[in-house]
Amino acid sequence: MNAEAATFAVSWVSEPSTGTRALQQEQQLNRFLADVERRALRIAEIGVRDRDDALDLVQDAMIKLARKYADRPTAEWAPLFYRILQNGVRDWHRRQAVRNRVMVWFGRSSSEDDDYDLVAAAPDPIGRSPDEELQNSEAMASLESAVHGLPARQREAFMLRTFEGLDVAGTAVAMGCSEGSVKTHYSRAIHSLRETLGEHGPSGSGDG
Amino acid sequence: MKKSDEEFAQEAKALFDGSVDKLDAATLSTLNQGRHRALEAARSPRGEWMRWAPAAGVATAVLIAVMVTLPGTSPVEVMPEAMTDIDILLGEDSIDMYEDLEFYSWLDVADEGDDVG
Repeated sequence: MNAEAATFAVSWVSEPSTGTRALQQEQQLNRFLADVERRALRIAEIGVRDRDDALDLVQDAMIKLARKYADRPTAEWAPLFYRILQNGVRDWHRRQAVRNRVMVWFGRSSSEDDDYDLVAAAPDPIGRSPDEELQNSEAMASLESAVHGLPARQREAFMLRTFEGLDVAGTAVAMGCSEGSVKTHYSRAIHSLRETLGEHGPSGSGDG
Repeated sequence: MKKSDEEFAQEAKALFDGSVDKLDAATLSTLNQGRHRALEAARSPRGEWMRWAPAAGVATAVLIAVMVTLPGTSPVEVMPEAMTDIDILLGEDSIDMYEDLEFYSWLDVADEGDDVG
């Protein structure tokens, strides 16, 4: 076998076929979505304060990412996914605002928070003492309420940076703004949350 | 003691992660189904042609606008025939007509012959 033929043979063996590549990509996408879906749900839920609507928003974001951006580098998936999700949350708030105006028109007051019960939405306790569980549930409920009360852009910056762990650049892509804006929104969010929750912090303990 | 912003964020993250870990089985199942639906959507060819749907819609609208506004074609002349066709298609008699289609074809040809003669 001459050198040229050997090179071809090696490249033929090492290059995966189109079908294999598609399968690998699908497996990667599945792993990515499985890793991100639960955090994404909680982030969306804090944004809209409705579990079912949050589930719909997360599913829509997953479908859009899979359809439009599956062929993008895997490192871009998280910022793109959260950008889609945040757009969905913003659209949800716009629709909600229109709905509320219509309700006011028909003489019924309506608030998006009316039906949301933080205690009912709290996850089931697993392997913790009742006291500890109660304390954590209450602390999370307070944190959730405080985060929800932030202005939308501050809320997005805080949740993407703190809860999802995106870096400043990734958060900027997800929010569709500059890195400087992300830093400003995040800093204001932390400041505001500390004021709301007190100096003992989100968990309410003073030993940190 | 006053906590740093970083400590504050770490505590918030720990609380958040705790709430994520304790999501109930029904919610996890719904998420799982949604993920598989997303992967299925990525596989389906619908995603490909849906990209062209907006362009196809615009093209169809332009084509209809050109047909309607083109000199020599009047919508007033076209519409009654179209409406008659729709009446025939939607009417209960239309099924019978299809059954006797050969007869009507023959009748049409015979009528043309009479007109010429």
